[in-house]
Amino acid sequence: MAMKKKRYALVIDSRKCINCKACVVACKAENNVPIGNFRNRINEERKGEYPKLSINFEPEQCHHCADPSCVRVCPTGASWQRKDGIVLVNYDECIGCRYCMVACPYDARYFNEAEGVVDKCTLCRHRVDKGDIPACVETCPSKVRVFGDLEDTTSRVHELLSTRRYRVKEPQTGNGPQLYYLL
Amino acid sequence: MHEFNWGLLIVVYLFLGGLSAGLFFAAGLADYMTVDDKPVYARVARMGAFLAPWPVAIGSGLLILDLGNWYRFYKLFIHFRWESPMSIGSYLLTIFTVIAFLYLFAWLTADERQWLFSKVPATWKQVHRLNVDLSSWRGKIAMVGFPFSIGVGIYTGVLLGAVSARPFWNTNLVAQMFLFSALSSGAAALMLAMVLNKKSPAEKHEIKFLVTLDVVFISLELFIILPYLIHGQLSSLAVKQALGLILGGPYTFVFWGPFLVMGLLVPLAIEVYELAPNIFKGHEFHGSRNLALTAAGLVLIGGFLLRYIFVYAGQVSSFHQMGMLH
Repeated sequence: MAMKKKRYALVIDSRKCINCKACVVACKAENNVPIGNFRNRINEERKGEYPKLSINFEPEQCHHCADPSCVRVCPTGASWQRKDGIVLVNYDECIGCRYCMVACPYDARYFNEAEGVVDKCTLCRHRVDKGDIPACVETCPSKVRVFGDLEDTTSRVHELLSTRRYRVKEPQTGNGPQLYYLL
Repeated sequence: MHEFNWGLLIVVYLFLGGLSAGLFFAAGLADYMTVDDKPVYARVARMGAFLAPWPVAIGSGLLILDLGNWYRFYKLFIHFRWESPMSIGSYLLTIFTVIAFLYLFAWLTADERQWLFSKVPATWKQVHRLNVDLSSWRGKIAMVGFPFSIGVGIYTGVLLGAVSARPFWNTNLVAQMFLFSALSSGAAALMLAMVLNKKSPAEKHEIKFLVTLDVVFISLELFIILPYLIHGQLSSLAVKQALGLILGGPYTFVFWGPFLVMGLLVPLAIEVYELAPNIFKGHEFHGSRNLALTAAGLVLIGGFLLRYIFVYAGQVSSFHQMGMLH
């Protein structure tokens, strides 16, 4: 059976985000992220003064870019990208030079001091490969996050990106980020 | 808040790598300079050859220590990734270091070689076969080494300049800036060593050669830094904001005061003051020992500060805004 091409992506409807940080906690628990490090975060932005003010919460993690600069600069090939778009670190090959961290426009990576290697969001590949969804997506109480395969025309992410307006962060870096923020 | 992934060890390494490149370049050049077919700068070349390999060797050691898993550094050499400046750089650095040591060996006198090999046990016959006179090969080794020394000097800038995520670095001027800074640091270090060498005091024509070399390199560096500032100001907003780090931001003082004025303009002024009467009025070259020492010392400090400013300010610069409420 021929494998169908896949391209995983996250669509984020940040207007639904209430900054409960359940996604941050779920990620840390699921992936055993060391204390002090995070694989995802919620950016907070406040505008104006009372009574004319607004607040905006924007979850962010690795964008699993189409042309990731972290993979490009890695001297050993430890940073690599799967065919389905997931950007990963091969911990056995990582020498801990942190060039990828410097090269990431989104500050999505962290340095695991205990292991001496760089680590990052894996889009919960251990779950995704079993047909499951990432922990941060599953746990989100206000359904901010939608995970799916962009190549699958029946998927919810495909439908959202076809019917809604969206933006990606910092496209000018040329990385081709794959976190889509609905407008 | 943004943390610094690359710290002082990287700054020191970038400086030492550039220093070696500059020393080798100046030494090789001095070797080629002849007057009436006589090698008038042979002592300069010899001193440069003796100094050149050590900074880069120490710097590479620091680089390895900075890794999260230092014992995995060998993995750099079982992969080659042409898209990664660091991968290309580690090969360049290794080849250059080998050539620099070879060049040093070619400058050893017969006595020095005998002394060196007297330390090797007599039973190690294969090692003793390496006790050969390479002095006739100096010119050839220098010729092969030139592109590698330029390569190492420019690579330290490319390493930073190739990062599209950091607008402070990502201009096509950083590589040349680092190269000329490296070459001028090399000339300055050589001048320092020549002047401080009490056993055989430096002669005026030797100091003049190094001062001239340094004036050329400092001027080139200066005329890279000016367009860097001008281009940046006329560039996209992210680049302009990144330049704000040295134009009002936290790195303003160290850039304009200690680096630009003390590390570049003052030594340039001293060296021009030394050279000008000789060039314009035909007077004898001063060759003031103290002025040479001051200029050389300031150039070295300036070279270090340039790397400090770029490594740190560059990591702060970003296209990305991450807001956190307090």
